Amino acid sequence: MPARRKPTSSSFSFTRRRFLQGVAAGTAAAVVAPELGRAQLQIDEEISGQPRVAIRLRVNGRSYRLSVEPRWTLLDVLRNRLDLTGTKRVCDRGECGACTVLRDGKPVYSCLTLAVDAQDSDLETIEGLSADGRLHPLQEAFVRHDALQCGFCTPGMVMASKALLDRNPQPSLDDIKEGLCGNLCKCGTYTKIFRAVQDAAQTLRRS
Amino acid sequence: MAKVLTRVELNGVVNDVWVEVPENEPAAWPKQAELAVLGKPLPRVDGPDKVSGRAKYTHDVNLSHMLWMKFFRSPYPHARITSLDTSRAEALPGVKRVYTYENTPDISWYANRSKLFDTTLRFVGDEVAAVVAVDEHIAADALPLIDVEYEEMPYVLDAETALSPDAPAIHEGGPQDAPGARNLQGGRPSLYTRGDVEKGFAEADFVIEHTFRSPCQVHACLETHCSVAAWQGDKLTVWDSTQAVHPVRESLAQILNIPIANIRVICLYSGGGFGSKLWINKYTVLAALAARDLGRPVKVTLDREEDALAMGNRPANVMTIRAGCKRDGTLTALTLKNIGSVGAYNAGAGVGTPLREVYRCPNVSTEESNVYINADVARPHRAPGHVQGTWGLEQVLDILAEKCGLDPLDFRLRNYSDTDQVRNLPYSTKGLREAYEKGAEKFGWRDRTARQALSRGPKKRGFGLATQIWGGAGGPPGYAVVNLYSDGTAAVFSGGQDIGSATRTSMLQVAAEELGLPADKLSIVMGDTQGTPYGFVSGGSRTTPSQAPAVRMAAAEVKGQLLELAGKQMNLPAQRLSTREGYVFDTQNPSTRKPIAEVTKELQFGFGTGDRVQNMLIGKGWRGPNPADVSVNSWGAQFAEVEVDIETGEIRVLRIVAAHEAGRLVNPLTASSQIEGGVIQGLGFALFEERVLNNASGRMVNANLHDYKIPTMKDIPEIESVLIDLPDARANSVGVKGLGEPPIIPTPGAIANAVADALGVRVFETPMTPQRVLEALEKGLVLRAQPEEGRRA
Amino acid sequence: MRNFEFVNAPTTERAIELLGPQAKLIAGGTDLLDELKEGLIAPERLVNLKANRALKYLRFSPSEGLRLGALTTLSELETDRTVREHYPMLAAAVRVIASPQIRNMATVGGNLCQRPRCWYYRNDALHCTRKGGPICYAVSGENQYHAILGGHLCFIVHPSDLAPALMAYDARISYAGPGGRKTLPLGEFFVGPAVNITRENLLQPNEVVEEISLPTPAAGTRGVYLKVRDRNTWDFATLSVAAVLEMDGATCRRARIVLGAVAPVPWPAPDADKVLTGARITPEVARRAADAALRGARPMSHNAHKVPLAKNLVRRAILKAAGVSP
Repeated sequence: MPARRKPTSSSFSFTRRRFLQGVAAGTAAAVVAPELGRAQLQIDEEISGQPRVAIRLRVNGRSYRLSVEPRWTLLDVLRNRLDLTGTKRVCDRGECGACTVLRDGKPVYSCLTLAVDAQDSDLETIEGLSADGRLHPLQEAFVRHDALQCGFCTPGMVMASKALLDRNPQPSLDDIKEGLCGNLCKCGTYTKIFRAVQDAAQTLRRS
Repeated sequence: MAKVLTRVELNGVVNDVWVEVPENEPAAWPKQAELAVLGKPLPRVDGPDKVSGRAKYTHDVNLSHMLWMKFFRSPYPHARITSLDTSRAEALPGVKRVYTYENTPDISWYANRSKLFDTTLRFVGDEVAAVVAVDEHIAADALPLIDVEYEEMPYVLDAETALSPDAPAIHEGGPQDAPGARNLQGGRPSLYTRGDVEKGFAEADFVIEHTFRSPCQVHACLETHCSVAAWQGDKLTVWDSTQAVHPVRESLAQILNIPIANIRVICLYSGGGFGSKLWINKYTVLAALAARDLGRPVKVTLDREEDALAMGNRPANVMTIRAGCKRDGTLTALTLKNIGSVGAYNAGAGVGTPLREVYRCPNVSTEESNVYINADVARPHRAPGHVQGTWGLEQVLDILAEKCGLDPLDFRLRNYSDTDQVRNLPYSTKGLREAYEKGAEKFGWRDRTARQALSRGPKKRGFGLATQIWGGAGGPPGYAVVNLYSDGTAAVFSGGQDIGSATRTSMLQVAAEELGLPADKLSIVMGDTQGTPYGFVSGGSRTTPSQAPAVRMAAAEVKGQLLELAGKQMNLPAQRLSTREGYVFDTQNPSTRKPIAEVTKELQFGFGTGDRVQNMLIGKGWRGPNPADVSVNSWGAQFAEVEVDIETGEIRVLRIVAAHEAGRLVNPLTASSQIEGGVIQGLGFALFEERVLNNASGRMVNANLHDYKIPTMKDIPEIESVLIDLPDARANSVGVKGLGEPPIIPTPGAIANAVADALGVRVFETPMTPQRVLEALEKGLVLRAQPEEGRRA
Repeated sequence: MRNFEFVNAPTTERAIELLGPQAKLIAGGTDLLDELKEGLIAPERLVNLKANRALKYLRFSPSEGLRLGALTTLSELETDRTVREHYPMLAAAVRVIASPQIRNMATVGGNLCQRPRCWYYRNDALHCTRKGGPICYAVSGENQYHAILGGHLCFIVHPSDLAPALMAYDARISYAGPGGRKTLPLGEFFVGPAVNITRENLLQPNEVVEEISLPTPAAGTRGVYLKVRDRNTWDFATLSVAAVLEMDGATCRRARIVLGAVAPVPWPAPDADKVLTGARITPEVARRAADAALRGARPMSHNAHKVPLAKNLVRRAILKAAGVSP
């Protein structure tokens, strides 16, 4: 068993520039430095001594090679290893839908998917929907109709909506309810979501 | 400047606060003023960040070298720790340290009744130890390696049992153990009386008494409670999923004994709060302590079960309401006896405000007991007390209306009150009558008998309504700063937070309106103590009425400076100028105008070296006192249509019409979202939500989102909002009142009345599950077999 | 969640080799991950059945009926045209399971082998009889969702919606182990607590469900699935009824009534079937069949409502299947 290490005294690389952006950038302020300290991570991994396996994930059209513990869920890996934090962890048990991603086009719960078990498929997260910096018509419709409040369920809702419209471009209200009912919202935005999805469907059909 | 004491309410708790009276606060906009930005359905300004996944919540903050913290929590509802050994956990590779009462400072908690880590545990979920490790999984792996021995103690899980003389004492010593006051917080109930209730009951033609039971309801915010703490030398930065960045900063300064100015608390986005994130939590303090101790950032994210076990709830209440009225429907007396379970430490469980204030009644008394039990401590939960209290009261009203043979709406109108009977003050404005009228019209209340015919076989239709009151005044303290830059754009820095209620958008609209700028020329910062002036908690529907006047005042100050500047440029006296849609114009000759961005160009100048230098205009504003001679409240009424299957007990809520008045309508798009959200949460209270504790273990058995049931998309009715725009010039300079809590308040009562209308029997307990509906039907059949005798006092 | 090794099993034989007391099968994972995260199980190895593509099929022929590979997902079952045409009640039952995402992930085999949702069983701190402990917490606790039939020292209800529907269509299950492959009527696969209190079926730790097969329904067969639950998404049944009636005009030639969420196993009601068989279906006959289905029901302290609820639902399902207005 490795000896217990003294707590490291090295200062962390919290960049001052990032730190100050919070105020300057207004509502879009992203204060967080996403780059993980690689060297430190490696040390941490060695310390923990948990077995790892090498995997490959295809997310939003990009391939990632990663070394993961078999018990890590796809959700954990997206959020904490790939810094794709748009996919949210809420219940961690497949009871809310906030972690919804598309796997080969179908909505699934990434909290109930092991990362090792997500290889060989095309994964799409909320970040993939506006990868070019422009919002997808669905996202625009969500904003236009105020189909969000706290926003924590929103990425999952948008992804489930995308899967629905890909499958059924002209959904009825009941189709929308059936298609999106695996996503829970606590603020109570459902009514607005119905409108947003109907509107987006129209926009998408026109284009 | 003059300072006055002004009355400020937060979730039913009233305080007198000193505040400077602003000398140059702009006058309230006239009711009929044509406004360019306020009252318009502007999509929320942070929408793009939220729909794209770019918005960073505390959950999403990942820093380099970051460590993770996990809690070990009490498995027993009441126990004393007799020994605690963390050596096995600390030996686990990847574990950095384990914190317990043995190696953490003696920090008092729960109003000095406990500590950061106490050796006496008073509820399942009480904190015993915190593990810090290189990742979340390792930290979790270490938890079962913490060896704790306990002396189990007797426990009690419900308030009625807790009051009995032989119940175990949750806190030893103190007034709560006085005879007849076992486990009673403060040693006595809180009392209110006006008039003479005995006389009132004697005058009544009908007197009824019923007991209503509402369960404990957890907040279930989608983003569980979490913090990230990081130090740079003696400066601390904390990301916290909170409704109170500034109050959390003050608490941290006090607890850690470091200057307020050395702490920055950030919460730009939070995934729901609903009252459960109004103050600092133990995990935030521990994350800060551990981060300092270990020299690395520390993140702590509670899991769903921990959130349900230890992060607050709406208390369970047992409410006995007695009511009397004359044959013509005039209320003569109302009494309430409420027993509320606050959990293991001090909290509020009162429900009496609606009963004391909504309807005109000369004789009223309430007796409310806050009772300790061995379960998590209650916290404010969207419209604390009002949801339960209204649900009970509104059913009593319907029962009396039926006895009088009056329509429920007419019965309520008969008892309409034009004054605040508790404070003996007139209301600043009261749009309830309009809410009744417009709501009833939209709903088709008067023609509902025609819809009764839609009952098919075992599926029975029913219709019900309920009334809402809320103290939506807001008040000081609240500050704002507005900067106008040389390119004609402006930035707003406001205290308070946007907790999902579109406050950023509302504040931006207020500033845009005052400045005469289109909304897209402004940006806004809220939720960062380093970037914003002080604002109190964002809860209790106080944010908009508290911050909007401060933002407007700051914008007005900037506008004054802008007009001075423009006056010089345009050779006109500044008093003659005003702004609209991005222009400064001459009020006496509106065609004489100049774009604001042209006016502000003067702010930019060069040193001749090519460097551009900017002046800017800066204004500050704050929230002044509340009016002393009126009561400020938000009002509303909701109408529900339901279908109940008498063979399965299933309730389907088909339609809710929600009519609400909260002063000036700032944004109809986001206001209707607030209303729909309130209705859906109210429906959850009425039909689904209940914390279930197992008697044999004291454990909550539904601490997950499957067994703790929140309405899904397929459970909600058609919801129609009726927005009543009634600017309240007495309330504040923007004319706004709070709308956050109001829409959840009347929903359960309206649904309950509709269910009773459908069934002919009442369900006196929420949630109204198929089980309770079927049981009520069974009991109703038994009762109806016997002749009913009207009770007389 | 304790760490484990994750191994692909491309064939049933390989899966059987890899399985053992410290190993668990994973297919859709929707129930297994929940159990792992709650700490109810801590296997050293997960054997990934999805690597075995041979178990993912859905075939129908009028002569052979329907054959479902164990790895068929619920959404494949729900949307399949032949299923909708020949076994509409099965599609209806699947449609009310959990949520769309779960149905995209969960498999037929996994649904039948899922563990109970009893909130005492699911709480890792409560050492109940189903976990080999001394008490059933439901007996003195909050038992509104628990069994009214077939309980014995443990009062879970079987959570599957699929099982009652399949049993009403006379499904058979095939599973393989070291001793070879067994095929038996699905109803015989499930065992109550009196037989084995810690398991809900006959499957041993080193056995693998391979196939579900259903005969082609006779002409005149009509099926109805009714489910009562608190919320219209996610929730397991408070009560469910699968009814398959083979009708000849107004007369019932053959009937299969199976109840869900009333007992630790999917609960066939042969006494009700007897009342219906050969009878002309009327509201009165349906009522008698419903009474027969619930004969012997013994409610607990908080679930007496389930008895009238079940009777109403059985009666409703029969009348709906027979096309008789109530």
